[in-house]
Amino acid sequence: MSAARGRLLLLAPAALLIGVVVGLPVLRVLQLSFTRVELQQGISEQWAGLELYGRLWQDSRYWTSLGNTSVFTGASVALETALGVAFALVLHQRFRGRGALRAVVLLPWALPTAVMALAWAWIFNDAFGVANDALRRLGVLEHPVAWLGESATAMAVLVLADMWKTTPFVALVVLAGLQGIPESALEAARIDGLTSWQRFRFVVLPLLTPALLVAVVFRAVQAYGAFDLVYVMTGGGPGGSTETVSLYSFQQYFRYLDFGYGSAVATQGVLFALLPLLLLLRWAQRGEVR
Amino acid sequence: MIASSVDNVTRVLSMNEFAGRGAGSGRRAFVRGMTAVAATSCIRRPQAAGSRARLAMLVPASEREVWSPLADAFERSHPSTRVHLVEGPSSTDLRENLYTASLLAGDDSFDLVLMDVTWAAKFAAAGWLAPLDAAFGREAQEAFLPQALEAGRYDGRLYRIPMRTDVGVLYFRRDWLDQAGRQPPRTFEELAQAARALQDPPHRWGFVWQGSQYEGLVCFFLEVLRGHGGFWVDAATLDVGLDRPESVAALEFLRGARLEQPISPPGVTTYKEEESRRLFQDGRAIFLRNWPYVWRLAQAADSPLAGKVGVQAMVSVSGQPGAGTLGGWGLGVSRYSPNPDLAVAFIRHATSIDGQRALCRTSGYVPARIQALEDPVLLGANPFLATLRTIHESAVARPGLPRYALASDILQRRLSAALAGMASASDTLRTAARETRQILEGSAGRGDP
Repeated sequence: MSAARGRLLLLAPAALLIGVVVGLPVLRVLQLSFTRVELQQGISEQWAGLELYGRLWQDSRYWTSLGNTSVFTGASVALETALGVAFALVLHQRFRGRGALRAVVLLPWALPTAVMALAWAWIFNDAFGVANDALRRLGVLEHPVAWLGESATAMAVLVLADMWKTTPFVALVVLAGLQGIPESALEAARIDGLTSWQRFRFVVLPLLTPALLVAVVFRAVQAYGAFDLVYVMTGGGPGGSTETVSLYSFQQYFRYLDFGYGSAVATQGVLFALLPLLLLLRWAQRGEVR
Repeated sequence: MIASSVDNVTRVLSMNEFAGRGAGSGRRAFVRGMTAVAATSCIRRPQAAGSRARLAMLVPASEREVWSPLADAFERSHPSTRVHLVEGPSSTDLRENLYTASLLAGDDSFDLVLMDVTWAAKFAAAGWLAPLDAAFGREAQEAFLPQALEAGRYDGRLYRIPMRTDVGVLYFRRDWLDQAGRQPPRTFEELAQAARALQDPPHRWGFVWQGSQYEGLVCFFLEVLRGHGGFWVDAATLDVGLDRPESVAALEFLRGARLEQPISPPGVTTYKEEESRRLFQDGRAIFLRNWPYVWRLAQAADSPLAGKVGVQAMVSVSGQPGAGTLGGWGLGVSRYSPNPDLAVAFIRHATSIDGQRALCRTSGYVPARIQALEDPVLLGANPFLATLRTIHESAVARPGLPRYALASDILQRRLSAALAGMASASDTLRTAARETRQILEGSAGRGDP
């Protein structure tokens, strides 16, 4: 048996598994997105061509949800990356209790999203919430604020909750990256007389780029698919101002039983998400080649 | 380098975090769908012991105690049958999803479908329910509260038999009104006046209700709408009344209550039933719109409100008693059940006077059978039933549309936007009316009679 064939044979089980678990459902969603699914004396399917995608262009609710998703993804990923790097730098230092602190930092990541979302919703409740109480005691607020009841603050609170939950993930990936930076490079920089900021900017950061990229891509994909957090905390409100694409396609599937349109929403949403990601990966690849 | 970073990470993280979360939005939704299907197939009926027939239904886990006496009694009278109560989540939406996934797959996990008042049309239109007209003749039908029964009819046929009903009511602090020498309000104006006179925000608010973007907001708005003489959708003619002046006046009242001369806390736009009830229960609100379950909690021995609360129907512009939105739960039979006759027998048993007593006596639920509402045993256990009976007579039903969920979501989003101050009442209702007409037209001509 040739080496090439042997390799293929070894790959086959994994490929088959991925094909069945990921490939088939994706193909089915794609097929459904070209299908009119009607709910009348049972569910009937009819080829619809591009009709459903045409409907998307005129669906203001879809565009609102796409905008909301973009704002949420942009804000949460940017903030989490900055904060995550800071955390990682601290956790990379040697100090007493570092192991314990690393474990504590990871805790939010280990918590189920739905549970922590419910807790955050109560924290930002206007009458019983800790947030209003604390801010009023500190004299920052005079009257309680309905954080989840106004469109701007509701989105901000969602981003905050997401940061709390997933900054540890970024910190972890970056920490792993930091540990891969050879001590000798830092040593050399120190001998060359670089300040600590210069060492971070010109030695650590460039070597950290691949790890950062992993973190950003994972986080972006995850934030773009945000569902449970929003579902529990705002249900998409107020006035649909926090509805994400995932939530909208879920509503189409399970509440309206419109599987065709739900699939079109999902497919189009994924296409929009892929574009910036591909650009990012291309840019990063070029950097690596150079 | 990328690979080594990932290696480092995966050493620490469990793989399933990646598997569950590393998906785009489309796949994400699908994964959820698959999970729901998987969840229902996990709770597929256990292997039948011997030749005993099984009747399975999904109930909220918290209601198990309420249903098991009924199930036990049924098993005693039908010794060859076993009733399998599958404990589901307490969230109505999640249970609807579980039923949907199972029925969509055409599997027989559930013989009986325990339905909210708004599901019947959608499930019936999808062809998932067996019609019950033959099993429940005219006389059997007349034994139920007419409003509750009608909610189970779609396209002229009966698919759902009401078990218990719910109706929106207005609670008020009788002690505070008495102290101020005020009568319970009859009009919206009187309610607002009393609220303004007696409130002391943020320690004590005038009027709390359900203003979050969800089904409860629609329920409450329908009451205010009816009180202003308006309507949402006429299920028979498919007329949409949302852009009429009465509708605008109704929404203006709610906007005013939160924004202009506040009698409701700013956070009311995030409240569901429990958030609003807690404020009231803590003595921090004068008026509360909610469901009958609040009564038992308010009157409990350890409640600070015991003996201080009054209840009536929602107010109206004219001063006549207004309307409460009809809620409630009923049973249907899955088309995929191998034992439809047994399922019907179970429904008969559960809606008999004995069944209704078993269901409602300890739980405080409101029975749907008229005879049970007048039953001395149940009235003795829960005198509140007499009040609810009158309120029930003028209840307003949500329209039984197959695309009800879509119509409701349109209204929820628009109302929520207006209440949050993102749009004016008239603009938002004009848009809502247009969108509602669009979806109703979309469904007309598709087999409508």
